[in-house]
Amino acid sequence: MSSDRRGPRAAWRAAPSGLLTTPALAWIALFFVAPVGLVFWYSLGRKPGLYQTHANDVLTLDRYREALGDTFLTSFAGTLRIGLAGTALCLAIGLPFAYWLAVKVRPHRRFVVLALVLVPFWTNFLIRTIGWQVVLSPEGFASHAMQSLGLIDTPFSMLFTRGAVLLGVVYNYLPMMILPLYVALDRVDGSLREASKDLGANRWRTALQVTLPLARPGIAAGLLLVFIPLMGDYVTAAVLGGARGNMVGQLVASQFQQAQNWALGSAMAVVLIVVIALTILATAAAGAACTWLLTHRRRRELAGIAEGSPA
Amino acid sequence: MRARPIVDRVLSVWGLLVIAFLFTPIAVIVVYSFNRGRLLASWEGFGFDAYAAALSNDDILSAVSVSVRAAAGAALIAVVLGTLSGYALARHPGGRIGRLVTALLALVLVTPEIVSGVALLPWFVSLGVDHDLTLFNSGWVRLVVAHSLFATAVVTFLVRARMQGMDSSLEEAAADLYTPPMRRFRLVTLPLLLPSVLAGALMAFTLSLDNTIISAFVQVSGSTPWPVYVFSAVRAGLRPELAAMSAVMLLLTLAALAAMALVLRRAGGSKEAVDALSGVR
Repeated sequence: MSSDRRGPRAAWRAAPSGLLTTPALAWIALFFVAPVGLVFWYSLGRKPGLYQTHANDVLTLDRYREALGDTFLTSFAGTLRIGLAGTALCLAIGLPFAYWLAVKVRPHRRFVVLALVLVPFWTNFLIRTIGWQVVLSPEGFASHAMQSLGLIDTPFSMLFTRGAVLLGVVYNYLPMMILPLYVALDRVDGSLREASKDLGANRWRTALQVTLPLARPGIAAGLLLVFIPLMGDYVTAAVLGGARGNMVGQLVASQFQQAQNWALGSAMAVVLIVVIALTILATAAAGAACTWLLTHRRRRELAGIAEGSPA
Repeated sequence: MRARPIVDRVLSVWGLLVIAFLFTPIAVIVVYSFNRGRLLASWEGFGFDAYAAALSNDDILSAVSVSVRAAAGAALIAVVLGTLSGYALARHPGGRIGRLVTALLALVLVTPEIVSGVALLPWFVSLGVDHDLTLFNSGWVRLVVAHSLFATAVVTFLVRARMQGMDSSLEEAAADLYTPPMRRFRLVTLPLLLPSVLAGALMAFTLSLDNTIISAFVQVSGSTPWPVYVFSAVRAGLRPELAAMSAVMLLLTLAALAAMALVLRRAGGSKEAVDALSGVR
């Protein structure tokens, strides 16, 4: 009887699992794995002549040596600095905001606030960046207003500085930080916070030892979602930083679009991937170490209390 | 307890400031779309000239139309591939293939756009020119393929998350009643998945409309998409027409969002609508 019932069901349930993922798998293999593999392959080649983009007749690591030259390293250091500072600022701005949204805003209003956060998310990011260019430009209204108020006497000169680039990237990637943080904090059960309070912890201790540790996956997701695209972004920097907004992405792009040197461009792209991966690994290791230190100290503390209490 | 009101007030002020920050450039673009001057940033007076100019500028109209057509194609592919694989991954998570697909899609999500862009350009050139697959010389095909990758990953994870949160008993009941697999999928599973599929489609569409970096690499001259057109205008000099067209597109996006929210609200509740649109579930 039971095998009779299970028979057809088991048969259909087993069949689709591989079958249904096949189209996506084939698509990704053809248009992601193969092309990215090709980039690694090109990076080992050379640019043979003025009118050819690449050749792999001789395999060499020279492109990497070339890629790690002075211009690239300077630009890389700048990109990494913007990337780290931008990600840290997004976390610093986004965390209190997400906490407010998930914990303090009343549930029926939360819907409206979340919708408000999403509207910029759905607007073209280039257009929003241009909006900042208008705000910061020396002939823009902010500059005029500040001059007529007597706050500054010469037109505003924030556009085309590193500060403007930082503002732009923080602005553009902030929603990517807020959303996963909100989701994670929203999932933290309110009763756990109350339990912590009932057990005598003050609000800071509850936040640091109960809420934040439980929201860790959201923090990690937010950091990744901001840092990775930010490191490859050169559009924000080009709009707000002008010549000073020279990010690594711009160098890679110019090898492909202007210099037509695919071998060197590929090597630069590979270096970019490696640096991003290393930074993430280092951050993850630091995070794990911090967690271990915190829990370790807490365990010792708790063990001390447990030892002391029976007496 | 003691510090509560002050800390709460600070948090509320912070929240409102962040929202104001998020809306500043959008408000600026909308206001400056009514600028009558020749340059976007210098205000010359209020008027609708920019809208008239934008809607009669062939370059702008063609760029927007290229973008919309590419977004539609990319969203379609992403929804089909993503729904199938998201469903399969939620219902049959184990197995080597399942793990491989999950890992690859996650890799697609975390690859910086610049890397995907520089990878796809030589690939399309080699497919189209060296291997005579002339299909890949079409600007539309290139944009659709390039934009569908990230979007497929997004739809897959949205659908998987929705499916995981759902009891499989309804499907099992249908299976017990000998409903054939295709009908079961259409009549039971798909309606349950609808919010995440719609949200995924909308997300795929807007991500494609937004995409600047990959598009700049894979585009074919003659079919320049809207963001790439805007980016080239940044270097050449920004005019109010761009702001006007952006305001029109913002309005259309918001209308699409509202329509979708309405559909989702009818299917679930307002919370579910926002959750689905934000990719929370």
